[in-house]
Amino acid sequence: MKIDGEYLFKGPREEVWEIIRDPEVLATALPGTKSLDKVGENEYRGDMNVKVGPVGGLFSGHLLVSNEVPPESLTLTVDGRGSPGFINGSGNVVLTDTGEGTTLMKYDGEVQIGGKLASVGQRLLDTASKSTIRQALDALDMALQARVAAKAEGKAVEYTPPSETQFAAAVAKDMAGQALSSRTLWIIIAIIVIIAVIAAIWISRTHGG
Amino acid sequence: MATKFVGKRVQRNEDPRLLTGQALFVDDVDLAGMLHVAFLRSDYAHARLKSIDISAAQKRPGVVAVYTAEIMGDDCQPGPPLVSPPPTAKNVLFNSRRQVPLVIDKVRHAGETIAAVVAESRYIAEDAVEDIIVDLEPLAAVSDLEKALSPTSARVHEDLDSNLAAHMVQEKGDYASARANADVVIKRRITIDRGAAAAMENRGIVADWDAKNHHLTVWDTTQAPIPIRNGLASRLGLSEHQVRVIAPFLGGGFGPKMMMFYPEEMLIPWISMKLAKPIKWIEDRRENFYATTQERVQIHDVEMALTRDGRILGISDNFLHDTGAFDPYGLTIPLNTQSHAMGAYDVPNFHSELKVVFTNKVISTPIRGAGRPQGIYVVERMLDIAAKELGLDPVEIRKRNFIPPDKFPYEQEIIDQAFSQLIFDSGNYLPVMEKAAKLIGYDQFVREEQPRLRAEGRHAGIGVVSFVETTGVGPYEGARITVQANGKIGVATGVGTQGQGHYTSFAQVVADQLGVDVRDVQLVSGDTAEFHWGTGTFASRGAVVAGNAIHESAKAVRAKILKLASETLGAPEEELELEDGQVRVADIPHQSISLGELASLANPLRGAVEPGSEPGLEATAYFGPKYGATAFGVHAMILEVDVETMMVNIKKYVVVEDCGTILNPMILEGQIHGGVAMGIGNAFYEKLVYDDNAQLLNASLADYLIPSATEVPRIVVGHEETPSPLNSLGTKGAGEAGTIPVPALFAQALENALPEYKLEIVETPLSPNRVFELIQKKEKT
Repeated sequence: MKIDGEYLFKGPREEVWEIIRDPEVLATALPGTKSLDKVGENEYRGDMNVKVGPVGGLFSGHLLVSNEVPPESLTLTVDGRGSPGFINGSGNVVLTDTGEGTTLMKYDGEVQIGGKLASVGQRLLDTASKSTIRQALDALDMALQARVAAKAEGKAVEYTPPSETQFAAAVAKDMAGQALSSRTLWIIIAIIVIIAVIAAIWISRTHGG
Repeated sequence: MATKFVGKRVQRNEDPRLLTGQALFVDDVDLAGMLHVAFLRSDYAHARLKSIDISAAQKRPGVVAVYTAEIMGDDCQPGPPLVSPPPTAKNVLFNSRRQVPLVIDKVRHAGETIAAVVAESRYIAEDAVEDIIVDLEPLAAVSDLEKALSPTSARVHEDLDSNLAAHMVQEKGDYASARANADVVIKRRITIDRGAAAAMENRGIVADWDAKNHHLTVWDTTQAPIPIRNGLASRLGLSEHQVRVIAPFLGGGFGPKMMMFYPEEMLIPWISMKLAKPIKWIEDRRENFYATTQERVQIHDVEMALTRDGRILGISDNFLHDTGAFDPYGLTIPLNTQSHAMGAYDVPNFHSELKVVFTNKVISTPIRGAGRPQGIYVVERMLDIAAKELGLDPVEIRKRNFIPPDKFPYEQEIIDQAFSQLIFDSGNYLPVMEKAAKLIGYDQFVREEQPRLRAEGRHAGIGVVSFVETTGVGPYEGARITVQANGKIGVATGVGTQGQGHYTSFAQVVADQLGVDVRDVQLVSGDTAEFHWGTGTFASRGAVVAGNAIHESAKAVRAKILKLASETLGAPEEELELEDGQVRVADIPHQSISLGELASLANPLRGAVEPGSEPGLEATAYFGPKYGATAFGVHAMILEVDVETMMVNIKKYVVVEDCGTILNPMILEGQIHGGVAMGIGNAFYEKLVYDDNAQLLNASLADYLIPSATEVPRIVVGHEETPSPLNSLGTKGAGEAGTIPVPALFAQALENALPEYKLEIVETPLSPNRVFELIQKKEKT
């Protein structure tokens, strides 16, 4: 599956770079994340627990950062697997300073998805992945703005990450916009699977060393 | 002999049991102390197995045992080949590769079994599967059929030089010179994609090893209990009499349940013997998509050479066939394709080269049609394209090419799936075509209805295609028939039943011979303890091979009845008649004896059975045909397309079938209805979508669409009867007749309905979405 897109962060490029390199901030932007640990110079491990209906289990992602050009670009390679299936892939993230105090993130990559994630979640994958990426980037942008504001005022950072439920609800709202029949239960189950997929992809993209 | 039951619409003997929930299915088997199995299956299509850690699973409360290939040791052997290997000839290459019960070193398709967990309940077993930590190193997956043959492709079996599983060339006449002399040569590439059988009942196995009696009983959703018993005995180191395999009622077979030695089929009995406990495994729907065999992927490069007036001079068909990760079923499917690529037509010159290719996908074995739909799709599509090119009517071009009735038996000069000469035994095709054209109202539709609808802006189209179906292949089947003391007739045969109405059609044959009511004939099928010679229910052979064995056996019992009754009643045999469960002296109705009393006399408590005679009114007989009987039929359809959505609405569907002597028209029509429903799925709904990494993307019935009642129209069935000269009943098979030509029919009717788009359909399955895409593509070019 190909994934590409762009996102405009309301903050300077250096701050964005910092935030996407901060495992703790990233973990809060992605609900369900159990841990994100640095295991090597440019290597991370992320664990995420997914437990809904037939697609439950622990999902582990192994990430490698390469081609790093701070604060402009990096390449991420992911190998994630667990009982819901597996994801392998790599992608590039490029940050461009717009010159207006905002930063444009462009991302593109190709992932292979297998197991239950691919076979059961396929029909919603595209829509859900786009939505999930946007929700997660929105959360990051909020964290970014909180950080920028706090720095400006010299105060401590005030930022409450979205809860898992809020996150799922936002994705579900996006999905409903796609006029996807009335099989609500099925969609909800699938969405949560997809969140797991995308979260892992996204972690791989942005949580670099 | 006049028939009272054969040929009549006799209501089915088995239906009261089936409809009231009184029929036994494998999942109904529930034994004391029974343990349950769940499997760890690979998510990867191609991967090396580096390590496996089962310690956490073993510790989970309720888990009894966990098995891996390493634990199985020498018992983890590849399954037996399921058909004889092809003859060694200079133009035949065949690399046999069969699956092991549990992955030893390398995963070759997503869904392969890596470990088996045995637990007190399926719930615990499923949870424990998730406790297993397996390290798989992903390898490049072989997915695309053509790329698989490139020298740089990853190899499914690394000990082979390439992914080529088999290669074979068949020739009839001289295609090259036919081509040189032709007025027109049509050349196309035709592609056929994958589908599932999607039986309502998934697979399931219950095994019970009785350690005190050294006896194994296995309930298995198999179409072929006897080969499974023989194979299990051999693989488990037992004698055949120590193994009883029961195939009870099945919720559909369709091929994938046919003597395919699945890993689970070996493992469940093996585990039962290890633990001396009854063991059960029932496949779930997702497993069915990953572990039950599939079919149909082929890519054909075809040429058809014709005269200006539409006579076929020759066909050249070179094709690739996807066998998936292994090829236990040999060349059955591609040889069936070759056998049907000339259709029902008198084709003097034929050239066909087949290449079977290994890929990292689920194994391909016969599914209802078994290579025939592909061959028929190819020849029927090519004829349609030729008809357009030559300005001929599609019905007319078919009529001009049919094998004429005086040419039977018609030698095709190629070998069939059993490696014998392909001969069409009998047929009379033209009346079938004419009946179908009449029933669908062909002339009237084309002349009046269609122009009227088009004027209204509606898109209605008609299709008419023909097909042959090679049926009733050997080797043989048998039956034992016994007159019981209660006057009822017991019939035991080896073939299992999956909904074909055997309990009725076979009973009709027996009832006519023995003069009893059809309700008094009690069939036992699919239980190796009752009858243990034979192969199974597949290849549209039940009514032909088992039917005739039962016929022969009933005739032998009739002879025994007449002999004993003649002695008892003191009347010559030729004056006796069998009716209403009695043997009567003709014209002296009160001088009679019931079959039950005769059966008791034949099994005396005192006195001796005379030398040379046998006790009881019982006989066993076998039937093996010289070669298969070939059935013929025509499907015709009128459909309307909604050009906004490209959804089709089938307005009328006609099948006219000639499968020789009809045993029960109602059951035959039921077979055809079911077959057409499956064919509609094949043609317009069902497609297994794999990505470039050989990952299946639609492994659920929410995404893999099977037709439901709303997609299946009422079907008008007409019959012609050209009895087969190869058996005494004159029967030919009909099990696959409903399915085979439907994709070809859809393609023709869709093109006919959408003339303004000048569509040329050279692929199947289709879907509304795919038709839309084809039109978009056409508009762009």
